Amino acid sequence: MSPTPVGSLFISPPVAPGVDWTHLLPILVAIPGVAILVWGLVRGRLPPAAGVAGLVLPIAAYGFGMLMVMEGSKDVRFCGSCHLMTPIVASLRATDGSSLAAIHFTRGLVPTNEACYACHSGYGIWGTFEAKKAGAMHMLHNLTGHYALPLELNGPFDIASCLGCHAGAASFRDVEAHQDPDVQQALLSHTMACTGACHPAAHPEEALTGGRAPS
Amino acid sequence: MIRVACLLALIALAILIMTALHLDGATATMFSFIGIPALAVALGLYVIKRWQLGAFRRGSGPSTT
Repeated sequence: MSPTPVGSLFISPPVAPGVDWTHLLPILVAIPGVAILVWGLVRGRLPPAAGVAGLVLPIAAYGFGMLMVMEGSKDVRFCGSCHLMTPIVASLRATDGSSLAAIHFTRGLVPTNEACYACHSGYGIWGTFEAKKAGAMHMLHNLTGHYALPLELNGPFDIASCLGCHAGAASFRDVEAHQDPDVQQALLSHTMACTGACHPAAHPEEALTGGRAPS
Repeated sequence: MIRVACLLALIALAILIMTALHLDGATATMFSFIGIPALAVALGLYVIKRWQLGAFRRGSGPSTT
């Protein structure tokens, strides 16, 4: 494999000079809150006005913090920062077409900085909500060690994530198998998946074992 | 009680600042499962203390807690 080329042309989205307010705002709001709370901790009491500020500032800081985490957790690097996901994210760069995720990632068919999120979240506000809910459960499973290897999808993959891009594409519509009513029904009822029979697996099997050798 | 509430809120804000400086799976997990509960408990303790001091009763004047 050739070394990864470097340069600002290869960064997506292009890095614009400026302040990252999603990360700065929670800190700016938290700092005066910290000052008030230290005051309360030392004195053991707070005047009512300071008490209200000591309530409102941490709540506001956490509100901005939640927006920051919601947005930042879409990043592929965030997904790969947990050791179980590291091999999966690493496998995205494979150029041998061995997995559906790598094909999409290396050909730029999904935004490369949000590749995991592009396929693993539904559409609309509820798609985002469901993805975040699933992500919180993943963190809980990771924290408590309640997971089994190899990793498996919890339930059938939502084919709507595929159809969101492919349904209107001529290259998708022209495929004879996609025009078969029985195949269409099987795919939409989740009795048949895109992967396995016709397309390569979403992720290579060795990446789903959290870096351990598959048994 | 106010000291405990302030300490818990400070822990929550420390986790928030850590998360903002370096967002990854570990800090996001702390943010979700330590920071948010710590802040919620701190707020609860503060409100209980204010209620005990009569802050939410009719005709009660401002009191320093």
